Amino acid sequence: MRKLLLSAAVSALMTSAAMAENIGVSMALFDDNFLTVLRNGMVEYGKTLDGVNLQVEDAQNDVAKQLDQIKNFIASGVDAIIVNPVDTSATQAMSDAAAAAKVPLVYVNREPINVDTLPDNQAFVASNEQESGTLETQEVCRLFKEAGKTEAHVYVIMGELSNQAAVMRTKDIDDVIATPECSFIKIIDKQTSNWRRDEAQNLMTNWLSTGTKFDGVIANNDESAIGAIQAMKAAGIDMKSVVVGGVDATQDALAAMQAGDLDATVFQDAAGQGKGSVDAALKLAKGEAVDQKVYIPFQLVTPANIGDFLKKN
Amino acid sequence: MAETSRGIGGLAFDASKRARPPELNVLIALIAIVAAFELLGRLLIGDSFLFNTRDNVDGIFNQQRLEIIILQVSIVGIIAIGVTQVIISGGIDLSSGSVVGATAMISMSFAQVALVNGQPNPKGVFLEQGWVDLPVIVPVLVGLACGLVAGLINGALVAYTKIPPFIATLGMMVTARGVARWWSKGQPISFPTESFAAIGKGLMPVVIFVTLAVLFMVILRYTRYGKYCYAIGSNEQAARISGINVEHHKILVYSIAGVLAAVAALVLSSKNLTAQAGMGVMYELDAIAMAVIGGTSLSGGRGSIVGTMLGALIFGVIISGFTFLRIDAYYQEMIKGVIIVAAVVLDVYRQRVRSRG
Repeated sequence: MRKLLLSAAVSALMTSAAMAENIGVSMALFDDNFLTVLRNGMVEYGKTLDGVNLQVEDAQNDVAKQLDQIKNFIASGVDAIIVNPVDTSATQAMSDAAAAAKVPLVYVNREPINVDTLPDNQAFVASNEQESGTLETQEVCRLFKEAGKTEAHVYVIMGELSNQAAVMRTKDIDDVIATPECSFIKIIDKQTSNWRRDEAQNLMTNWLSTGTKFDGVIANNDESAIGAIQAMKAAGIDMKSVVVGGVDATQDALAAMQAGDLDATVFQDAAGQGKGSVDAALKLAKGEAVDQKVYIPFQLVTPANIGDFLKKN
Repeated sequence: MAETSRGIGGLAFDASKRARPPELNVLIALIAIVAAFELLGRLLIGDSFLFNTRDNVDGIFNQQRLEIIILQVSIVGIIAIGVTQVIISGGIDLSSGSVVGATAMISMSFAQVALVNGQPNPKGVFLEQGWVDLPVIVPVLVGLACGLVAGLINGALVAYTKIPPFIATLGMMVTARGVARWWSKGQPISFPTESFAAIGKGLMPVVIFVTLAVLFMVILRYTRYGKYCYAIGSNEQAARISGINVEHHKILVYSIAGVLAAVAALVLSSKNLTAQAGMGVMYELDAIAMAVIGGTSLSGGRGSIVGTMLGALIFGVIISGFTFLRIDAYYQEMIKGVIIVAAVVLDVYRQRVRSRG
């Protein structure tokens, strides 16, 4: 009975494969805010294209499950695969499996470790994390200069230490304040909030209890920046006197910016990445050449251009 | 009759063995840790951990630091009050962190404002239904009900199906996290009303934590409910024979723990002005650790709310102390792990000494 069902399922897949472009998508995690926007961007875009079927699966943050999903996609004869890797250092096996079956593969959002040795029919679509922290810190630097500061002391709130984006964004901060234009900025302390608002709130309150004078907070993400803002407000600090920067441009962050609490954030175009990955997969499936690294740009969000982003994330 | 004074860890009424309560050891440990940070602070960065060294504020102590030490553990502390009772009565509750997540999501949906900065609430869950700007009692009752339901299910599973509490509450842990994620499809829920935001504002979490702790301290020590907890945890069979309705009592204990997790969820989401599906992850383990560090025995029958409060304070002192010394985040977790294991080793050792009589 099971065999019968299986063969029926296989033949159903094969017939649909003959009619349209089938793309298998393995997402690292369904219940992540950002990845949800990315996934929806992908699905919505797929619906606008004629004869493109997207089959989206959830790897539930499990490396082994993701590899199994990819092998299942290959076995069911998809025309291309899009992977949002669970673990960026475990991508070699995925690339090998797809290459052996000659199925095009596109990595999205997270940079695979083998990005520089990808076979011809594989590509990587994301935003360059080098931009996010850089845009954020440069804006913070500009605001300090605008306020006429010749010396500025900041706290840095990092994301999860095992996460590439957190590492990169923190490095961006260091790089920007190493430049002569922004070298007047000094970091008092760097700690992690694990991307979380409640932890950032506690961290900031702990910092405030040291009584050290500071001029700003540069956070790896908006949730952490908001946590810091809430702690500072609870301590009665005038938000006009400190510069706070985040990354993500979440709805909460944009509201905080409208309220005058958050000074800078950076928009990562999740839907744009989803759309870009589908485009790349379709081109590869048709045998066309694509750039192996497709970067969807980050955009700086400030009170001046916030209107453009209110409806985006 | 000599048999009865041996063998079981929960002989709570033997006065001679209570000469030095375990809470005293925990208090000594707490003082030692504070002293260590004070000393290290003065040696390494030339600043005081506990005392005020600033000219622009008054007072002998660094009041801001004292506040954050307890503020940052208040929310998990509220959970730990419930978890302590569960462990004393011989059970375990792994579901509290997930119950916090689910409760936060559901109750916050009933606490949202209609307009944010003059625009319709971008995160409004019940915007279409018009369930916005509701009085604060609505989300509070909804939240408490969520916790109660979760606790009732936990208790009923443990009491009537006889499956181990570890498994029953593990099931709830996974299910409640699923509910938290499903509720808004993973999207955060933000922008609560001002009256809801007042629940967790400023030092309110501390006030709620301490009030509940004192309340349950009295209940555990002086009421029949409390005596039953210790009796069931010490020897369930003996408790049953003595005429205690063990099943009903277990359901009651788990329900109280569920409601306390819901209180923690309300305070947490109010304090953060947001509810997110990932809220409360690992809180159950922190809560269990606070209880265990505070001298509550995982084999049941022994423990106290005072001990758990001291355990919570040790957590708070460590977090603040490490930030104060500007030590890398990595080490915090390592030390936390070592302290938890050390506390359990001590507990096992204490039990062995006692049972040897």
